[in-house]
Amino acid sequence: MKLEILNAMSEQEIIEALGTRKEKIEIARKLKELKLPHKKSEKYRYYDIESFLHKEITLPKSGFEAKEHKNALIIENAKVIAIPKQEGVEVTFKEFSDVASNHFDSLYYLSHLLNQKAIVIRISKDSNFEIKHIVSSNEFLSYRIVLFVDSNVKAKVYESFEYCGDNLDRLLYGIDAIIARDASLDFIKNQTLNFSVEPIATNYFKLDSNATCNFLTFDFTSKSGLNIFKAELKEHAHFDATHLIYGTNSAKIGTISEIEHTEKSAKSNQDARAILNEKARGIFDALIRVTKEGIYASAHQNSKAILLNSGAYMASKPQLEIYIDDLEASHGSTTGQLDKTQLFYLRSRGINEVEARKMLILAFANSAISKIEDETIFNRVQIDFEKAYYGDTKLDCIKTCHECEENILKG
Amino acid sequence: MSKILEIKNLKAKIGNKEILKGLNLDLEEGKVHAIMGPNGAGKSTLSKAIVGHFDVEVTDGEILYKGKNIVDWEPEERALEGIFLSFQHPVEIPGVNNAYFLRTAVNAKRKHEGKEELNAAEFLRKMRSLANELGLKPELLNRSLNEGFSGGEKKRNEVLQMMMLEPNLVILDEIDSGLDIDALRAVSEGINKMKDGKRSFLVITHYSRILDYIKPDYIHVLKDGKIVKTAGAELVKELEEKGYSEFEEK
Repeated sequence: MKLEILNAMSEQEIIEALGTRKEKIEIARKLKELKLPHKKSEKYRYYDIESFLHKEITLPKSGFEAKEHKNALIIENAKVIAIPKQEGVEVTFKEFSDVASNHFDSLYYLSHLLNQKAIVIRISKDSNFEIKHIVSSNEFLSYRIVLFVDSNVKAKVYESFEYCGDNLDRLLYGIDAIIARDASLDFIKNQTLNFSVEPIATNYFKLDSNATCNFLTFDFTSKSGLNIFKAELKEHAHFDATHLIYGTNSAKIGTISEIEHTEKSAKSNQDARAILNEKARGIFDALIRVTKEGIYASAHQNSKAILLNSGAYMASKPQLEIYIDDLEASHGSTTGQLDKTQLFYLRSRGINEVEARKMLILAFANSAISKIEDETIFNRVQIDFEKAYYGDTKLDCIKTCHECEENILKG
Repeated sequence: MSKILEIKNLKAKIGNKEILKGLNLDLEEGKVHAIMGPNGAGKSTLSKAIVGHFDVEVTDGEILYKGKNIVDWEPEERALEGIFLSFQHPVEIPGVNNAYFLRTAVNAKRKHEGKEELNAAEFLRKMRSLANELGLKPELLNRSLNEGFSGGEKKRNEVLQMMMLEPNLVILDEIDSGLDIDALRAVSEGINKMKDGKRSFLVITHYSRILDYIKPDYIHVLKDGKIVKTAGAELVKELEEKGYSEFEEK
């Protein structure tokens, strides 16, 4: 079947067509209400969503045949093959219908309908583990992860992707992260798939009172992909999102998001950076909404893009929707080329133009990458960026220079 | 005495405005030349023209460096051949590590000169030692280039770069602006140490204060885009007494 035909169906017909449990009728109703996007849908104008929904698919199947792993949840072609062996981290595979009732995006509901069961992770003690996605199937893949972070717990999750195959298809997956009162979640996504797979992540973050979430996404690719997420913030919750994309070839990549302050004194900050080469297209369509109950909010968003040549394009649309006066808010967007004055300064010291440009681009990327506190993950992401930007040839040299100098300076 | 730089009938504009209007200037090897002049005379434009800044378009004339016309050279070519400009307002570059940048620059120059590149340990030893002499805090070496530096720290960092790069011609554009007495002394001592009888200096300044610390061999008065007077160090006193208004093109 083609997913786009769902738009013409009633909710009952959607349930039947997708072979979903009848308990999910409310989710089907939301899908029916929001409708699957098409090329004229406002948020998808710059993304080729029709090709995603237009292809013939067989309904995806997720599964669970897990062995224990030291610190990683490994999902291979929608099947969990390993779960982290950590005290306080419990992984199950079960039915899950308690989805967000107010997500803005229909693909979120679609992915819940496509999956009878979800991978449910409950974190009850401070922990740090990796979610590794391995994709090698040439079929359409879909699965959902639900992450419960219990009260007063600090969780750190690093999400990585591995490709092995040569004729891959689309991946529609996502995470529902329910972060309890006084809990914190650091979630870092590092996506460097450079093959025909097209990953679309539809996430939902629910932050209870005093909860914090640092959400960092890094997408370095020559192919397309999207980060779609909704975040809902209760009293004194703090949500910090950083996005860095490096796109080449004809990649269409970016973020479509909505952050909602539903109670007082919540804070959100969203910082999106894009480096676009060749004919790549960057997307940042982000809304921060402060409801009438969201007094004393602090809400900031900023998008900065560097276009490395005339074929690259950035579609940036930061938006604030505010219903109160008592708050602190800002938003901004800049798109341009490298700073000529900075470039000249480097060249005036004998550094050739090509090398000077590389230094400035790396610096721009590092301003986002440096927000990663974990040194190992920081190094992984930095290497992935340098690999994507420089290619493999000079990587060792660059890495050696950085490490060598830093170590000696540290004494 | 041979000339390191000969500027002949240099005309240059920024945007549509002609700033340098047929400027002639010779700099001798191993000497300290100071250029003084009122605001808007073209002092910074001259320094930018010598290093090939994108703001400045040279419309006529020649800039001969060691006998070669460098007007069409790229900025990095001029730097690699030994021309160094200490900027009046050094730019901040967040994310570019100060030490990493400087090592890249030093090794680019060494490679150009056919020398072996300095390894990280050799480089850092030398950089730390010079930074210490200049009173530049060691932690600034591992920070982003000029980011969050005070005015004095930026100027000390410029002089550190100069000392590491060992240029043949040093142009100091308002090196004293924004410096307190201690910083001025440290910066001047660093510059004076670089005098070796071969290296030439072009000190661009509004005020004579810096010339108490860096003694010039020649003073040139720049006014309305031309050099209107050249004399020895004694000209400073005359300028202090009479101001620039007394000087007109000969």
